[in-house]
Amino acid sequence: MSNPLTTLVAVLFFPGFSFILTYALWCQWVSRKAAARLQNRQGPLHTGWQGTLQPLADFIKLLVNEDITPAAADNPVFNYSPIAVFAIPLATFLIPIQSLTSLRGWEPIASFEGDLIIVLFLMSVVILAVFLGGWSSGNIFGAVGATRAALMMLAYEIPLSLVAVGPAILAGSLQISKIVDWQVTSVNAFLGAPNIQGLAVAAVLLIGVVIYLICLLAELELRPFDISEAETEIVHGWQVEYSGKKLALLNAGHDIKMVLAAALVTSLFLGGPAGPILPPFVWFILKTTFCVLVLTNMSVLFARFRIDQMVAGAWKYLVPLAVLQVMAVVALSGVI
Amino acid sequence: MSEREFVIPIGPQHPALKEPESFLFTVDGEVVVDVEPRIGYNHRGIEKAMESRNYIQNLYLTERVCGICSNAHQTAYTGAVEEVGGIEIPERAKYVRVFMQELERIHSHLLWLGVAAHEIGFDTMFYYVWRDREVVMDLLEEVSGNRCNYAMATVGGVRRDLPRDKYPKWHKMLDKLAERTNYYIKVASTEKTILERAVGVGYLGKEDMIRLSGSGPNARSSGVPCDIRKLTPYLIYDEIPFEQIVVDNGDVLGQVLVRTLEVVEAVKICKWVLDNIPEGEIAVKFNPLQRLPEGEAVYLVEAQRGELIHYTISDGRNMPYRHKIRAPTLGNIPSLVERLKGGYIADIPITIAGIDPCFSCTDRMAFYDEGKDKTWTWTEGELSRYRKEWYSR
Repeated sequence: MSNPLTTLVAVLFFPGFSFILTYALWCQWVSRKAAARLQNRQGPLHTGWQGTLQPLADFIKLLVNEDITPAAADNPVFNYSPIAVFAIPLATFLIPIQSLTSLRGWEPIASFEGDLIIVLFLMSVVILAVFLGGWSSGNIFGAVGATRAALMMLAYEIPLSLVAVGPAILAGSLQISKIVDWQVTSVNAFLGAPNIQGLAVAAVLLIGVVIYLICLLAELELRPFDISEAETEIVHGWQVEYSGKKLALLNAGHDIKMVLAAALVTSLFLGGPAGPILPPFVWFILKTTFCVLVLTNMSVLFARFRIDQMVAGAWKYLVPLAVLQVMAVVALSGVI
Repeated sequence: MSEREFVIPIGPQHPALKEPESFLFTVDGEVVVDVEPRIGYNHRGIEKAMESRNYIQNLYLTERVCGICSNAHQTAYTGAVEEVGGIEIPERAKYVRVFMQELERIHSHLLWLGVAAHEIGFDTMFYYVWRDREVVMDLLEEVSGNRCNYAMATVGGVRRDLPRDKYPKWHKMLDKLAERTNYYIKVASTEKTILERAVGVGYLGKEDMIRLSGSGPNARSSGVPCDIRKLTPYLIYDEIPFEQIVVDNGDVLGQVLVRTLEVVEAVKICKWVLDNIPEGEIAVKFNPLQRLPEGEAVYLVEAQRGELIHYTISDGRNMPYRHKIRAPTLGNIPSLVERLKGGYIADIPITIAGIDPCFSCTDRMAFYDEGKDKTWTWTEGELSRYRKEWYSR
């Protein structure tokens, strides 16, 4: 932390809050437009070029909407949990994006040994805020949605964390920027002298990516796992009593969580901002947008699962598969 | 009620119900223990209004009982009136009425398929089905000039002819519908997430269905052959070669299969009608001032949702003395309650949507005191006095 002014600029503008918010709104547009075209619709069209400004317009519109708090929900937990849902992913996002600044030779503002654990922990804390917010809303649908969100977390949290540890074991570090460095050096080494071990590592990590993406669908409450907010069943579940500013924060928090998830996939499995010819910044944007597109594509393909089917499926298939994947990674890390 | 149980109210306003109806669910965790339906939120006074309008004016009222089965209501109404009046309609008019009825069945069942997909959270299928449904909507518009409320039937025949030069184009549109529906049958019976949400959901066996007297696709999905078009054929349904679709799945998948297969069957009927329609007049003359002889008649129609009953009494004037409409959903509510019990909260929307409910057509208003087991009626003056008292409180 040499210059406080640089640090302040980094936190507030790039790669800080302004950039993250803009990028989250961009990814919301990408996701909405892609989903619409896949479903034979037009999607956002009128605000800005091809509706690119629509997410921003929605955000502002919700900010000026009347904020109604029901008498039964008038308590601090209900009022502050949207702030937590918004602020925690925003703060967490600084860490995976560090890999981007480190490549450009900038001073990292939040990169240290063990930051992967912090990221995983903070992402779980968001669900706690969701649960408290839904539970304290004094609404039966909110309570059901909150219980479902907590139940879902029991199902996907373990495979999610297990799989994220795989690249860390291979890189021998729990620091995200070091995991990125390891990927870059080992891919370069593999391209220089292709060998069978490298292919095996790639195959095992591919299984990891698939498990990770499925768990992220659940974490982000996208179909087929939008069980905790299922509109047709429990009327947006835990969000049911939120309106106005609070709902705007919840939606923005969801978008930031989506790009955070995409940035994590990019950093842990896709080599972060590294890539030929184009500058690292462009590579980072391309890769995260690609991850958002993959998540969107997966989410329009299926019908919604029931909560019991989802939990049973996760414990029957995802958890054993994740354990096997980590065991394979450990075995392989001895080889290379 | 035990400590673990609590009550979830669904309706009269709820995103899964497009119409006002209330269900009180007693749930234990995620499992539904008991259901208490409450109908009667919507009173439009159509039956009463019909008693002061002549038989031609009533055509437009009956059509507006329901937006989706408007033609079924009109077919049943005209059928009942013609039976009372002893009016014999031309052969060609019967073919046109059947054609309209089957087109409406296609549009209604495809609409339902989209809604069902939406209820289980499969919005992509919803958008695709509704896109393909536009083909039949265009066809209906080309035939009648309207996308709903076609105003085709009249007492004594039909109001518009089917121009012969359009038949090749209509054949092509119908082929497209059949092709797309066959694709959706394949999707619905093979896609894993749909099967997870449809197989065994809202199950009701054949015996229970007969006991609870369900009708239409709801009953045929439980293996009860109850198609009015086969049991008491009206118009020319006894001449048309078509299959009665009955499956014995008894669950939501069975309802999907019955409706989609019926779409394919309806396409065949429409094509048969276009191939075999005779030349001739489309209507006999009927004067709005014409009086009908005294008498009464019941006319049954297999509407998209089930057995639709129109019952009319004439006292010799040019307007009905009493006209009673029984919409199919009323007969399906007891079996719906049975289907819901023992299911999950997550399955409530698809199970309710599974019977293709049309609550607003079903609802009537009556005064009933539960404690004293007493019913009564109010005049218009008493109602308006009650309203004034209520709002001045």
